[in-house]
Amino acid sequence: MWVYEKKLQYPAKVCKPDVKMAKYLIAQYGGPDGELAAALRYQTQRFVMPTGKAKAVLTDIATEELAHLEIIATLVFKLLKGVPVEILKREGLGEYYTEHDRGLFYADTTGMLWTAAYIQAKGDAIADLHEDMAAEEKARTTYEHLINLTDDPCVKDTLRFLREREIVHFQRFGETLVQVREYMESKKFF
Amino acid sequence: MYDYNPYVQDYAFPSLKLAQAYVPLQKYVSLYPPEEAIKKGTVFPELDMPYVGEKMR
Repeated sequence: MWVYEKKLQYPAKVCKPDVKMAKYLIAQYGGPDGELAAALRYQTQRFVMPTGKAKAVLTDIATEELAHLEIIATLVFKLLKGVPVEILKREGLGEYYTEHDRGLFYADTTGMLWTAAYIQAKGDAIADLHEDMAAEEKARTTYEHLINLTDDPCVKDTLRFLREREIVHFQRFGETLVQVREYMESKKFF
Repeated sequence: MYDYNPYVQDYAFPSLKLAQAYVPLQKYVSLYPPEEAIKKGTVFPELDMPYVGEKMR
């Protein structure tokens, strides 16, 4: 069960509309290493975590990834706001416009739809935590690519925040891995 | 004499085994003030690792 706040975790400002950047940013909405994949991955993996603390880490981070999903959606929405169809078409969003107009949909930058095949839940806490650490690193890299792709200082600022959160999450998953392994080993000798 | 760095963590693990990944457990050092923490994306100075590769893109 969730309690939510009607505000973003971090401001999502854009200095000016930018169709190309919106197209790239959607990668972090519905792409393989995006925020939706992250939130759903951790939220479903939490059930097999052997300790209450590990369950809490996964649920907490899944929740924060939903907050990041909201931030990405806001950025994309603002980058497309008021842009005429002619420009959407010219900048490569004609296909997207056909089915979604300027609405937000779970696809990556090439238009590939989000799929549960992007994530796993192995029923094994150690295997799942390794996936989670890899996911954070892949998301960090994606944010770095996105920072490289824009000159908009407002967008860069928000992306830098999101990138830093991936680093913090990696640390938390890493600590959880060490602690879960320790817990499981202690269970073998009682 | 050596330079004291308050952010250096104790990275020693009691028993490192092969074929296992380890991340050092974070120890409390200090906190950024709230306004600075939200800007940086972390309240912990030792986890503050900004992107520096942008100019080499």
